Amino acid sequence: MNEIAPTLSSAVELSTPIVLAAMGGLINLRGGIVNIGLEGKMLAGAFVAVLVSWKTGDPWLATATAAGAGGLVALPFSLLITRLKANEIIVGLGFNVLVAGLIGYLLPVVFGVYGALNPPDLAGLPKLRIPGLDDVPVLGTVLSDKTLLTYLAIASVPAVAWTLNRTTWGIRLRAAGENPDAARAAGIRPLAWRDASTVVAGVFAGLAGAQLSLGIVSLFTIGMTAGRGFIALAAFYFGAGRPWPTAAAAFLFGLVEAIQVRLPGSQLPPQVVDMLPYLAVIVALTALGIARTRRERRAVLT
Amino acid sequence: MTEAPAVLPQPLLARRLGRAVELVWALTPFVTALLVGAIILWATGRNAVDTYRLLVRYSFCDRDAIAATLAATTPVLLTGLATAFAFRAGVFNVGVEGSLYFGAFAAAWVGFTYTHVAGIPLMTAALALAAGAGALGALLPALLKVLWSVDEVVTTLMFNFIAIGFTSYLVNGPFLAEGTANSMSPLVADQAGLPSLSPPSQMSPGILIALGAAIAFWFVFARTTFGYELRTVGGNRRFALASGISVRRAVMIAMLVSGLIGGVAGGIQILAVNHRFIDHFSPGYGFTGIAVALLGRNTAVGCVLAALFFGALANGGATIQFFTNVPIELIQILQGTVMVFAVVQLGRGIARRS
Repeated sequence: MNEIAPTLSSAVELSTPIVLAAMGGLINLRGGIVNIGLEGKMLAGAFVAVLVSWKTGDPWLATATAAGAGGLVALPFSLLITRLKANEIIVGLGFNVLVAGLIGYLLPVVFGVYGALNPPDLAGLPKLRIPGLDDVPVLGTVLSDKTLLTYLAIASVPAVAWTLNRTTWGIRLRAAGENPDAARAAGIRPLAWRDASTVVAGVFAGLAGAQLSLGIVSLFTIGMTAGRGFIALAAFYFGAGRPWPTAAAAFLFGLVEAIQVRLPGSQLPPQVVDMLPYLAVIVALTALGIARTRRERRAVLT
Repeated sequence: MTEAPAVLPQPLLARRLGRAVELVWALTPFVTALLVGAIILWATGRNAVDTYRLLVRYSFCDRDAIAATLAATTPVLLTGLATAFAFRAGVFNVGVEGSLYFGAFAAAWVGFTYTHVAGIPLMTAALALAAGAGALGALLPALLKVLWSVDEVVTTLMFNFIAIGFTSYLVNGPFLAEGTANSMSPLVADQAGLPSLSPPSQMSPGILIALGAAIAFWFVFARTTFGYELRTVGGNRRFALASGISVRRAVMIAMLVSGLIGGVAGGIQILAVNHRFIDHFSPGYGFTGIAVALLGRNTAVGCVLAALFFGALANGGATIQFFTNVPIELIQILQGTVMVFAVVQLGRGIARRS
C-alpha cells in the first residue's frame, strides 16, 4: 500500500512530457492539423536542452531554447502543409525521420559520440518544493518536489481549455480549423492561425523534450522519446480534442508507465502494457465511429 | 478534312510536354534530398561530391556490391509496393511496418516449428503464412474503415506499435529461444533459409519475388478491370460509387493485399537474412516503404527505381560509415527529405485526402 504515493509521484513526473505534447497537439488539431511530427519536435527539444545546459550550465536557458527549437522545427513543417499543400501525415512521419537522422548524424560528427550525449555534471532542471504542500501526507509526495515543467503542464490544461473556449483567440483558431472558408469570410486568415497553432504545438513538444532530458533524467539518447509523441497523439485522439479528457488520458498513460517502472513483475508483461495507449485509441475511434454511423443511419431513417 | 493532320501534333506535343513536366515533378524530391544532404555534408566539413561518388561506388562497383545492394532493395521494394497498392486505391495504409512484423514472426514460427519438413515446402509454407499474417494484420483497420468509417491513417499508424509490441511479447515470452536472454526466437531450420544467389551477399530469391510482385502490380493496375476499379476508387470515390463499383470491396481488398505484401517482405527478411525472429528487428522497412511509394509515385517502375535508390543508400551507407567518417544517419536525412518533398508535389492530387 505504501507504494501508492511514490507510484503516483513518478506517474506525475512521467506523464508531464505526454501532457505537454498532447496539449500542443490538441491546439494544433483544433487549428486543423493532425500533428504526427510531435515525436521529432520532442526529440529536437530534448537534444537542444542537453546541449545548451551542457554549454552554459543554465538549465532554464536550456529549457527556453528547447521550446524555441520545437517551435523552429514546427514552422517549416507547418508551412509545407499550409502553403505547399503537402499531406500532413507524410510530412509528420518525414520530419520525425529527418530530425532523428540529423541528430544521429551530428552526434558523432560534432560531438564524437554515438547515439547519446551524456556530458559530466550536466545541470538538470531543479525540483521545486512547494511550501505547505510538502507536509501534507501523500499529496505532498505526489505533487511537490517536481520540475517547473510539471507545474506548467498541470497549469496548461485549464489554460488551454479557457483559451480555446472563452477567448477570441480560441474562437478564431477553432474557426480556422473547423471552417476555413467561413473564417476567411469573417476576416480571419485561417492559414496563419494554423501555422501559429503548429508553432505553439512545437513549443509544447520542445518543452516535453526538455522534461525528458533534463527533468526525468539528465542526459540525451537518440531513442529517448520512445514513441511518446505518438502516445501524446493517442491522448488527444482519445480525448477527442478536448483538454480535460486529453490530459486525463495522458496522465493515465504516464501512470501505466510508472506502474511498469515501479512494480516490475506485475501481472501483465511490459510489452503488452506498452501496447495499451495504442489499443485505447483504436477502441476510442471505433466507439466514435459506431456512434457516428448510428446517428447517420437514424438521420436517414427519419 | 485536309486540315486535320495539322491539328494532330499539338496534343502530341502537349502530351510530351506533360510527360516532361511529370518527370521533373517526379525527380524533385530525389534532387532536393541530395541537395539537403550535400548542404549538411558541406556544413560539417565533408566533401559532398566525394561522399556521393563513394556511395555510388560502394553500391554498384562490382558484382558483390550490386548483390548487396539488391539484397537491401528487396525488403523496401516489397514494403514500397505494399504501400503503393493501398495508396493507389486511395487507402492511406501507413501500417505496412506492422504487417511486416506479423509476417516475419509467422515465417520464423513455421521455420523453427516444423523443422522436419523438407526445404521447398517449408519455405513455401513459411512465406504463405507470412503473407496471411500480414493480411490479417491489416484486417482490423480495414474492417473498422469499411464498417464504421474509422480513419485508417490513425488506426494503421497505431497498429504498427501494437504489432511491434505484440511480437516483442511473443519472442520475450512464449517463444523465447532457450539459452538466449536476448529476445529472439529459436533459429529456423537450415533448409527453410532462402539461399544466397550470389555469396557472400545476402541476395536471395527474395529479390525475384519482389520483382515478380512489381510486375504483378503493374499488370493489375494497367491491364485488369479490377485494377481499374481500384484506381477509380482512389481517384474519385463518388464517381466510383456512381459507376456501380463496390467501394467497400475495393478498400477491403486494397488493405488486405497491402498487408499481404508487407507480410511477405517480413517473411523474406527472416528466411534470407535474420534466420530467426528478433525483437524490433526492422530498421523501419515499412516506413522506408512509404518513401519508396511516394518517390515512385505509386507506380511499379517508380517503386523499383526508388527501392533501388534506398537499397543502394542502405548498402553504400553502411560501407561508407565503415571506411570514411560519414555517419550512416545521412541516409535517414535523405529519406526524411524525400518523404517531405514527395508530398509537396503530391499535394496536387494523388494522395490528397478528403
